[in-house]
Amino acid sequence: MNSYLHDLPGGTNRKAHLISGVFVALLLAGVFWFGFSRLGYRFAWSTIYEYRLNFLRGYGITLLLSLFALILSLLLGVLFGLGQKSRFLPYRYFSLFYVELIRGTPLLVQILIFFYVIANAAGLNNRFVVGVLIMALFAGAYIAEIIRGGVESIGESQRETARSLGFSPVQTYRYVIFPQVLTRILPSLAGQLASLIKDSSLLSVIAIKEFTMAAREMNANTFSTLEAYVPLAVGYLLLTLPISRLTRLLERKFSYET
Amino acid sequence: MKLELRNLTKTYGPLTVLDRVSLSLEEVHSLVFIGPSGGGKTTLLRLIAGLETPDDGEIIINDHPVEFGSEETLREYRKRIGMVFQAYNLFPHLTALENITLPLVKVHGYAPERAREEALILLERFHLADQAVKKPAQLSGGQKQRIAICRAVAIRPEFLLLDEPTSALDPEYTSEVLDLIGELRSEGMRLILVTHEMGFARQAADYLLFVGDGGIISQGRPEILFGKTGDERVSRFLNKVLKYN
Ligand SMILES: Nc1ncnc2c1ncn2[C@@H]1O[C@H](COP(=O)(O)OP(=O)(O)O)[C@@H](O)[C@H]1O
Ligand SMILES: [Mg+2]
Repeated sequence: MNSYLHDLPGGTNRKAHLISGVFVALLLAGVFWFGFSRLGYRFAWSTIYEYRLNFLRGYGITLLLSLFALILSLLLGVLFGLGQKSRFLPYRYFSLFYVELIRGTPLLVQILIFFYVIANAAGLNNRFVVGVLIMALFAGAYIAEIIRGGVESIGESQRETARSLGFSPVQTYRYVIFPQVLTRILPSLAGQLASLIKDSSLLSVIAIKEFTMAAREMNANTFSTLEAYVPLAVGYLLLTLPISRLTRLLERKFSYET
Repeated sequence: MKLELRNLTKTYGPLTVLDRVSLSLEEVHSLVFIGPSGGGKTTLLRLIAGLETPDDGEIIINDHPVEFGSEETLREYRKRIGMVFQAYNLFPHLTALENITLPLVKVHGYAPERAREEALILLERFHLADQAVKKPAQLSGGQKQRIAICRAVAIRPEFLLLDEPTSALDPEYTSEVLDLIGELRSEGMRLILVTHEMGFARQAADYLLFVGDGGIISQGRPEILFGKTGDERVSRFLNKVLKYN
């Protein structure tokens, strides 16, 4: 009975799904075709082909940069996510300031300040490293919030139980809280990774040769304006679509478990 | 078990829950707390469990005072006693079996294999072996509470504390949990129990404390306390809870 209701909106009807999917795709294509035809723009696809290595190199840099930034931001997230609850007040306030400051300002502003002020003063010249640091600092604040929320979602009663069983605070975090937090926040973390990849496109403003910069370079050199953005859209989607599918899968898995 | 309380006092802000409570009991095997809600039963039990620190006074068990001085000594103390909460606090990410083995391995230093054996013996004995690999979400309330009790006794505690172990259960599961507690008691496990199940209290208690109004209002063996001669507050309470029994 229940599953019957569940399946009503075309749940198992493959044909309906296929037709709907194709319909939406055609609709979108139509809108774009109409838009571009009104512009009367002539695409010079061959220039993209000439710049293909540039694009691929940029793509690789974006991937690598996001990966390093993700690892670093996870560390920052744990450090400052837990810090917000610390009894050691300087640590707590540092964590609070960090999270609020980063989340309260636009990424573009952070990039410019970090690059022209902080990295400059610190003598950091490697742009890739600067890019990784900026993205890690940025994503770290959001991950800190995800982790704080995850830890808070584990009820007081479980800590109490662990305490009554003779667990130390460290053991309680290690064996009781973290394993549960991890499964709960995995979907959000995957979402954060997708954001990180997309947001890193802003790094092109400080001329880091990542994916978006490849498009900007091509535009600057060839006076093309639009065709460079098509591979961008496709390239970012190729990364973010699987992640978003993964996110949904994880969400579903988690909702079954509870 | 010898239990002694000396001027035990616990306050929460302006509220004095326990006001200079003193008590001295020789050789009780099962001690039961009854009394009105908000009377301080849980507070008293949590103090005895080492989960709460008194503002004043002492708890002396088998001639050893509980050392409330530091979290480390308290943790050592907690390792020697079992505690069961009202709402079966199993860890939801672990199976029934892992819930029992985790403290054995991580807190008591058992080898994983031995912990597993011990846990399986317990589950077998209480007819829970079929549930061993299930997660709490797949278990009934009664099963969860029985597994929580197994976890508490697996460490071979000096005594077992239970705070209203059946009051979060659907009524149909009450008896299986009470049966298990009764079985443990008859095997010689020492118990301190808070309950609203008066029939069970009467049957299982060596000694009863009626807790309320900041202290122990009345105490005695069950036949005395449930008799007609008790304190007026006690008989009013008993009339209320026994009305539909
Ligand atoms: N952590 C706490 N903070 C503030 N007040 C509390 C706390 N724990 C218990 N109390 C109060 O202490 C009183 C006794 O509570 P409790 O020991 O739980 O009673 P019982 O278990 O007999 O129902 C109640 O008025 C309750 O609101
Ligand atoms: Mg209570």
